[in-house]
Amino acid sequence: VTRDRTLRVEATATVAFLLLAPLLSPIVRPADPQARSPSEYEVKAAFVYNFARFIEWPPEAYPDGVAGLVAPLLGDDPFPGVPGEVLRGKSAQGRALATRRLRWGQDVQGCHILYVSPSERARLGQILENVRGQSILTIGDTDGFAQLGGIVNFVLEDGKVRFEINPESAGRARLRISSRLLTLARIIR
Amino acid sequence: MAGCRGASSAGLIVLVTFVWAASAWAEPQEPSRDLTEMSLEALMTLQVASVYGASKYLQKETDAPGFVTIVTAEEIQRYGYRTLADILRSVPGLTVTSDRNYTYLGVRGFGRPGDYNTRVLLLVDGHRLNDNIYDNAPLGTDFPLDVDLIDRVEVIQGPSSSLYGTNAFFAVVSVITKRAPQVANGELSGSVGSYDSYKARGTYGATLANGLEVMLSTSAYSSRGHRSLFYPEFDDPATNNGIARKADDDRALQLYGLASFHGFTLQGLVGAREKRIPTASFGTVFDDARNRTTDTRGYLDLRYEDTLPYEIGLLARLYYDRVEYYGHYIYAAESAGEAPIENRDLGHGEWVGSEVQLSRVLWDRHKVITGVEYQRNLSQNQKNYDRSPYLLNLDDRRSGSLWAVYGQGEFFLLKNLVLNAGLRYDYYYTFGGTTSPRVALIYHPVAGSTLKLLYGEAFRAPNAYELYYSAAGNQANPGLQPETIRTTQVVIEQELGRHLRLTTAGFYSWIDDLINQETDPADGAIVYRNVQSVTARGVAVVLDGRLPGGIAGRASYTFQDVRDSGTGRVLSNSPQHLGKLNVIAPLFRDWLFLGGELQYTSARRTVRGGEAEAFWVANVTLFTQKLLSGVSFSASVYNLFDQQYGDPGAEEHRQDVIGQDGRTFQLKLTYRF
Repeated sequence: VTRDRTLRVEATATVAFLLLAPLLSPIVRPADPQARSPSEYEVKAAFVYNFARFIEWPPEAYPDGVAGLVAPLLGDDPFPGVPGEVLRGKSAQGRALATRRLRWGQDVQGCHILYVSPSERARLGQILENVRGQSILTIGDTDGFAQLGGIVNFVLEDGKVRFEINPESAGRARLRISSRLLTLARIIR
Repeated sequence: MAGCRGASSAGLIVLVTFVWAASAWAEPQEPSRDLTEMSLEALMTLQVASVYGASKYLQKETDAPGFVTIVTAEEIQRYGYRTLADILRSVPGLTVTSDRNYTYLGVRGFGRPGDYNTRVLLLVDGHRLNDNIYDNAPLGTDFPLDVDLIDRVEVIQGPSSSLYGTNAFFAVVSVITKRAPQVANGELSGSVGSYDSYKARGTYGATLANGLEVMLSTSAYSSRGHRSLFYPEFDDPATNNGIARKADDDRALQLYGLASFHGFTLQGLVGAREKRIPTASFGTVFDDARNRTTDTRGYLDLRYEDTLPYEIGLLARLYYDRVEYYGHYIYAAESAGEAPIENRDLGHGEWVGSEVQLSRVLWDRHKVITGVEYQRNLSQNQKNYDRSPYLLNLDDRRSGSLWAVYGQGEFFLLKNLVLNAGLRYDYYYTFGGTTSPRVALIYHPVAGSTLKLLYGEAFRAPNAYELYYSAAGNQANPGLQPETIRTTQVVIEQELGRHLRLTTAGFYSWIDDLINQETDPADGAIVYRNVQSVTARGVAVVLDGRLPGGIAGRASYTFQDVRDSGTGRVLSNSPQHLGKLNVIAPLFRDWLFLGGELQYTSARRTVRGGEAEAFWVANVTLFTQKLLSGVSFSASVYNLFDQQYGDPGAEEHRQDVIGQDGRTFQLKLTYRF
């Protein structure tokens, strides 16, 4: 009986400690409210912002009256609200970034960056066909997107966000990609 | 007992050290973490995570209603995992046992001997693998998918019947397969291991310009196993002094195919395995290598995903499944001098089904899904006969339908407070209807901290084997009702600096009407009854780390206390303490990695009141890639220190404890085109 009680006391103490330990840790070490691992889509949104900085659009991509960089999301938002939150109020190359939602079938004219959600993986071919000849930076989130002719594609590796670039597709869209971006990317030909 | 106490104190000390070390190691924080102000290089070092199986859509681990562990393809490679069982052994709170015929999973201290993993739902890309006769979830060499084709395994501990129905009782093991681009144009792989074990795999993958994705793979495995195994329970001259000869062979064949085009995905899978049984289970003749089981299972699954008008996501699924079980058992003749009786035990299961699931995002953030499922069991047939003279012991043929409706919503009550609520109604032709709710409150008090409070109810329907099997010393019990579980969980996740995360999960479960294997004292027959009530409680503490320089790992300690509510006794095959340590260290760039594992299991009571001793197992794998273009190579040693240990046997075994493998090795070479 004593043995059982000792065991129980010890187990209770262990459980109590283990439950409390994480709560104590902010006291042990004041947690920086910003310091946490971000969600996949927060990181991807930050990448999109960087792409806007390191890629140049040809002048004809900004017809009269177009002041901003238009960067819609095509398909289901994989993590609702995040891209808008990360990109709100940001500008690149002196132009404000404008995000919005697009649905399959809606016009992509006037866009600069088209993020294609994984939900659209069934019609990647058609989407890429629709933007052919326009200076639109297509960003995919589906295995094989860059091989299909997309310009940039996100991949996850070891739980980290990486990206592929298809330079030939970029050339066809008359986009100039900085060498800094190319050195960090996995090149798809 | 002293051993247990020592272990608990040791676990505590290790943890305290870890927590403090973690705090000390944490790098100085960057003053600002506006992600858009970070450099590209810095962004590329950030760790992100997401999980699918907890809600049937992709969400952050910290938003998932459950206690989630993920094992990735890289970890499978770098730890040298050979089977799904190897993968699950590394997961906090799980125990894997073997009776040298099948492989069994225990979750949070609950692993009933003689239970074919009926209380865990096993999914491959969302397709249910538990069969329609035994509810069996295959985890060893009988798992029909080569582990090299796994992209990741998500283990969601806690009840999930509110989404998945039966079997999602203690946990959901959701296997996500690789897609064609992940195997490049193709792979060839071969491995050789202890006890004449060989495995070969060929995989082809392609994505065509028109968007058609194709993948094909086949694997063959063969192991001669131990040439002789000693079982003291049979140490008698009449039974070869307890030595079972050439009775451990294991062979398996696997086929896999996938074609995906414009939202349609057709996936097919077949696995066949034959295992000889050295333990003379179910009273068969000892040291007769003809005792064996053959299990074949396969499915065809056609999925369609689309976005409908009004931004409604659609997932529709049609499937066909089939399992064949074939047992060869040799029994002693009733009178001496006669030839032994060759007994055949058969199971034939066939079913078709469909599922339609709709999802929609409301007001930009709340997510709602709803679905209906229908399954038609074409056959759930069990047969048992003696070959010569022919004697039919059992010929039970069943069929019937079941259907279910479910819904789940993820609602942001506040910006940092999420309510995740789900409900599912299942209708069974055997016992009627049952409703399973789950509610979770997920709160992020400050960035980097998550508090989850969960309550869920789950059930498991009695299966055809438990209801109707009445041969070879078994009794049927057609009146069985579903067993139920109510679970409350508290999960606290805390980021410690940028590289470490501490998760604490406490749980309390009440299980009622447990379907338990018992021996009827009247005639000694095995029968399943809804008799027991069980209380399970415990706590798991998990430290995940990814340090700069590429060292990654996980340390966990689990305390679990699972008792019969009536007698107050700890259940058999229920270790009270589990400790696990997994570390991957890059030795040279990303070319050479060392993967090491240490797993502690405390003593377990056996079915007959004995004890399976506590044990430690260490596994080590060296993995290289990029030395030659497209070639990767791994060398693994399992049970490095040659620990002698055993797992508790079930009612069908004379062995109270069944010995497990000592030190074994494997070499593996893979070439990617």
